[in-house]
Amino acid sequence: MLYLLTILFPIAIAASCFILRTYTRLSIAIAGGAVLTLAFLVAQIPIDDPARFLGVTLILSQLGRVFLFLFLAVIAIALFACWHLPHGENFVPVVLLVLAQICAILLLQDPFLVSLLLIGAGLAAVLAIVDLPTGSGVLLGTRVIASALKYLVLTMIAGMLMYLGFVLADVYELGQLPGRIPLTRFVLALIGAGFALRLALIPFHSWLPDLVEDASPLVSALIVAVINTTSLLMLILSFQRFPILISENAFGLQVIQTIGLITALLGSLLALVQPSLRRGLAYLLIYDAGMVLFGVCSINQLGLAGALFHTISQIAVVMLLFVALAQLEQPDGRTPGVVRRDLLRRWPIAGVCFLAGGLALLGVPPFSGFVGKYLIYQAAAQQGPWYLALLVASSVIATLALLRLAREWLLGPAEELPVEEPLMLGETELDRPAVRRLAPEPRSTAFLTMGLVTLCLVLGLYPLPLLDLISDVVRSLTFIRAL
Amino acid sequence: MPDINWALIGIAVSAGAVLLFRTWRSTFPAILFNYVCVALFMAQQQFLPANLTILGFGFSTVVLVKLITGFAVTAILLLTALTFSRDYGLEDLDEFGLAELRRAARAAQRQPTVFRPGDYLLPLLAGGLALLTSLALPRLYPIASIQAVDFAWYWLAFTGLLTLATANDLPKIGLGLLLCTSSIDLLYTALAQDVSVVAILFISLSTILLALMIAYLSGLLYGRLKTLELSELYRR
Repeated sequence: MLYLLTILFPIAIAASCFILRTYTRLSIAIAGGAVLTLAFLVAQIPIDDPARFLGVTLILSQLGRVFLFLFLAVIAIALFACWHLPHGENFVPVVLLVLAQICAILLLQDPFLVSLLLIGAGLAAVLAIVDLPTGSGVLLGTRVIASALKYLVLTMIAGMLMYLGFVLADVYELGQLPGRIPLTRFVLALIGAGFALRLALIPFHSWLPDLVEDASPLVSALIVAVINTTSLLMLILSFQRFPILISENAFGLQVIQTIGLITALLGSLLALVQPSLRRGLAYLLIYDAGMVLFGVCSINQLGLAGALFHTISQIAVVMLLFVALAQLEQPDGRTPGVVRRDLLRRWPIAGVCFLAGGLALLGVPPFSGFVGKYLIYQAAAQQGPWYLALLVASSVIATLALLRLAREWLLGPAEELPVEEPLMLGETELDRPAVRRLAPEPRSTAFLTMGLVTLCLVLGLYPLPLLDLISDVVRSLTFIRAL
Repeated sequence: MPDINWALIGIAVSAGAVLLFRTWRSTFPAILFNYVCVALFMAQQQFLPANLTILGFGFSTVVLVKLITGFAVTAILLLTALTFSRDYGLEDLDEFGLAELRRAARAAQRQPTVFRPGDYLLPLLAGGLALLTSLALPRLYPIASIQAVDFAWYWLAFTGLLTLATANDLPKIGLGLLLCTSSIDLLYTALAQDVSVVAILFISLSTILLALMIAYLSGLLYGRLKTLELSELYRR
């Protein structure tokens, strides 16, 4: 009963929020209450206690519970952020709908059904991408429609590749090959390509920069922090379900790991030459996805623990970056349509938090990203010095890219400084136009971003409890033990 | 004389029509016919035990669910196509938005509507390529034990992918994705020893959601540019 309630409750609330979508704050409050209730429900579900429903096994693992709580926290942050930040009319119902599907994914853990649910989550996200705020007087940009279409097509193709891979893996005893197909390699190729599309790995990455550039920052955060992270988790669970995919397929695994390495390297290089803050951020996220994939595919305890730690850290960092970005892009009371390069001066808290988020993403100490990256570097060093050298090089290039972004858009000289002019003949102070007062930074967003920076610092300075939990989880993964 | 598998021929012809034709008036009936043929093919191959009798024919409930999904998908696309001409939300727009819409309407009127045989050349070549590949692959790389099943799913997958690659408008992209989904669905039904009810439910829901999303995006695109042409979408 609890399992079903965890999946169906957010759907019911999403329907209510859809009906009440024009009452923005009311629907946000209802959704917030639903997230809290869901957290309570998830806490009640016993660990590793399977239940059967319509021939399907529902079970919550320890790893699943950790991530479920994290996703609930992410959704709560997104809802809190959209209290003040601009968002689409249907954002709240879509968020709940995605949450319901993520709950189902983490409870079902059947790769075949999960691939279908990931398609569903992607389709719901498309609705959020093309969303406009209630009563908006502007037209939807054609670029937004193009980005949504690209995301839809690639999501569907990714889902179908995974779907086909899992059908074949489920139906055939891997190793007993029909005809002349080396099935383990074929299935790993299908699943690998599907996840590569999902995680925006090079050369399957083109949707992410477009999405980050055209969609609202909160929607991008939802897709990257929730849907992509779930996909990564599912990749690990696929290895757990079908260990033969990796145990008899060292070459295939090495290819995927190389894709991760190339993604980290090219992602950081491309981030260096992007013409906008958003696109630069998107390529930094691509670099980061490559690093995490490298850790996962190293298939040892260090690499996997590093990848999981970094994934958890990345969830907080991605939320921080996109909330700060949304704040930096708010209309700031100055002449619109001008590219600003002094955003740190105009929005100091958001600017500093954006930079802190960038440093955490790159794994610069003392932020949380460092611990995960350090473990991934160690795993790379075990595989060979070249791997380590290339990963470190990509991180250095990514740091340069972040510095360039900061210099181009954040740390520029202050614009439109008030100029002291003497009074003209016959002119009094009253004749002059009133001095323009720019609105201060919203307190709620400032508190939120500062809270997230604090979280990144705490995780970076005191990682042991989380690291112990992750080590336990990694040790319980049978495919690691088998290898 | 060997028995002719009419359901398989129906699948081949209807998927080919989706790949070849350009207007929704031809492709939407073709996709409906394709769903009917796929259902007939599944019933004929007896992948699943029959537990339902309609007009003297034994069907599995799963086949019926797939048929209903096909009808729902076509109805969603058809209703969207029939309401493309309706404007919406104009009262909320500012003068700049309204002016842009008028410009888009004028640009859409200037588009040529004459029949150009050259437009059909690429889909025709793509169709030929898909046919050759779908005939060869069941022999070279058989996945299912029956050659007809292998041909059907390979053909649906390749026509779907090539429809995506040669699509000139947004609904056709949707049709390509629907053909690909149909292909994997057919393979799963043919191969799985025990078809899960939840899996069937999720597949059908995903297919209907996909149709809804394509319909929604088509409505948005038409509302914005007064055309469904992808070339216009990427021109701006």
